[in-house]
Amino acid sequence: MLKFIVRRIVWTIPVLLVVIFLTFMMMRQIEGNPFRQSERAVPEAVQANLERKFNLDKPWYLQYAYYVKGVFSFDLGPSLVVRGRDVNDIVKTHFPNSIELGFYAFVFAIVFGIPLGMIAALRHNTTVDYVAMIFSNIFYAIPSFLIATLLIYFVALQWGLLPTSGWSSWEHKILPAIALGFAPMALFARLVRGTMLETLQQDYVRTARAKGLHYRRVVGLHVLRNSLIPVVTAAGPLLGFIITGSFVIELIFNIPGIGQYYITAVSARDYSVVMGLTVLLAVIVIFANLVVDILYGILDPRTRDARA
Amino acid sequence: MVANPTDLRDEGLIADPGASPASGAPIRQSNLWKDAWRRYIHNKGAVVAGVVFVLILLYCLIVPIISPYDPNEVDFAIANEPPSLEHPFGTDKFGRDLFTRVALGGRVSILIAFGATLAILFIGVVYGSISGFVGGRLDNGMMRFLDALYGLPYLPFAIITLAIIGSTNVWTMMIALSIASWFTTARIVRGQVLTLKENDYVRAAKAVGARWYRVLGRHLLPNTLGILIIAIFLELPAVILGEAFLSFIGLGISPPDASWGAMAQEGRTVYRTHPTAIIVPSVAIASLVLCANFIADGLRDALDPRMTES
Repeated sequence: MLKFIVRRIVWTIPVLLVVIFLTFMMMRQIEGNPFRQSERAVPEAVQANLERKFNLDKPWYLQYAYYVKGVFSFDLGPSLVVRGRDVNDIVKTHFPNSIELGFYAFVFAIVFGIPLGMIAALRHNTTVDYVAMIFSNIFYAIPSFLIATLLIYFVALQWGLLPTSGWSSWEHKILPAIALGFAPMALFARLVRGTMLETLQQDYVRTARAKGLHYRRVVGLHVLRNSLIPVVTAAGPLLGFIITGSFVIELIFNIPGIGQYYITAVSARDYSVVMGLTVLLAVIVIFANLVVDILYGILDPRTRDARA
Repeated sequence: MVANPTDLRDEGLIADPGASPASGAPIRQSNLWKDAWRRYIHNKGAVVAGVVFVLILLYCLIVPIISPYDPNEVDFAIANEPPSLEHPFGTDKFGRDLFTRVALGGRVSILIAFGATLAILFIGVVYGSISGFVGGRLDNGMMRFLDALYGLPYLPFAIITLAIIGSTNVWTMMIALSIASWFTTARIVRGQVLTLKENDYVRAAKAVGARWYRVLGRHLLPNTLGILIIAIFLELPAVILGEAFLSFIGLGISPPDASWGAMAQEGRTVYRTHPTAIIVPSVAIASLVLCANFIADGLRDALDPRMTES
């Protein structure tokens, strides 16, 4: 087991290097660097100084090396547009909000999605099952901006229960969390239902029932535990899902998070910020994959060799 | 077991009048596609979804041609009207008929969605079949690389891609949406190729001296076709939503052309007073995504009964 974990962690390092490299090379292709002569007229000496300051006079592989060194020492470099502000500051002020939002959305998805899937599976082929599945299919298809808009329109504007946008008090955080958590909730419900139906067919469940174990105990002890393994593995893709959704949700609810700042940075052509935030998001996903793989290895020992 | 002639035909026990009598004898005429079709039409949800899907396509194709309204004509006298007989979906903030504009927007959205999906499949098939076919160290390396990229959020990379290209139109949207979305398809294709490679008929083909490109082209790729058709409808919803998100955050194709996502973004400015302007295009997106999901499920059950729902 230890060997598996160590191998998996060591393997993460080249992965990080490759992903940073790809992002780095993509960013280099973008036209319209704020330091280019065409963008603003500065004397040549100033231009040269600027380029030296940001290492733009060095060959690309050195720039890449500097950048990697920066990332591994938690320094994502300066902002090219906002003077005196570096990417780390932006991450420090905006990232906690995004994490908070994502966390609430995740909790919402788990708290409502898993029971919904369980009920549907246990009442397989009944009206309850059909209604649960119709709803989760619909919610999985609705774009999050519609859910967000409807929530604002009814809950905030028509009924006046909660504020429409902002991020200052707990009341502000309810609607965005629900809007972002809806699709993951539907995903969880479908996933849990599917795996649970499969688990209920297993021989060990039949054996447990045959030796007289109470139905509730069988479900709680055998079925649920084995049905939740795929939920753990879905957490990786789900994170990407939530990150993508947060761009839209933060924009609609005017939440000062990474997603909203990302869009601002793109339109301001603040490419060092764009690159820093992209690398940050990628690193988070890679680490989530790492944790998921290790968890999966612990929960299901058969996968250790195959995925190491 | 068999009660009436229809069932007999279904079971392939008597000749189908439409089918060519190959040997003259009423032998069992059945192949993968016939079986798949039979399984598919027994799945009510998938049939309904397929019909609605076709209806949406027809609506997008036909309505702009027969509509009496100019989709780009501005008339503030009838701005933000609720749905009525003349304007079934109401009008937007410029007084343009939404019934016509949603159809036009659907053309853009669906074109981008299918284009990006085909691009994703192409990259996925090339990558996956090389990896699975060559095997060994190359396969190992290529799969490790995929593992590295697995789960990366596509949106930042789509945004960067658009920034690199510098202009946003239907074609650049296709590129942006496919650039970081082909990992899963590549994996599926590789898995399928690996399984097929061990089949006896592939070994037999190799044993009689077939070259690698013949084995790949004649045996491996045609047999991944079923999986690919499923993959189209699995990928389509993600691409439609991706395009909608990109447009919604203001990075979509520019007006007056508008995809559903761009229309929703336009509607966002007036949703407090006139929510239909954002609801209508969003519901259009949701219907198409919902249909594609059901079609994918139906196709999966029909084409590959071994695959279970996950």
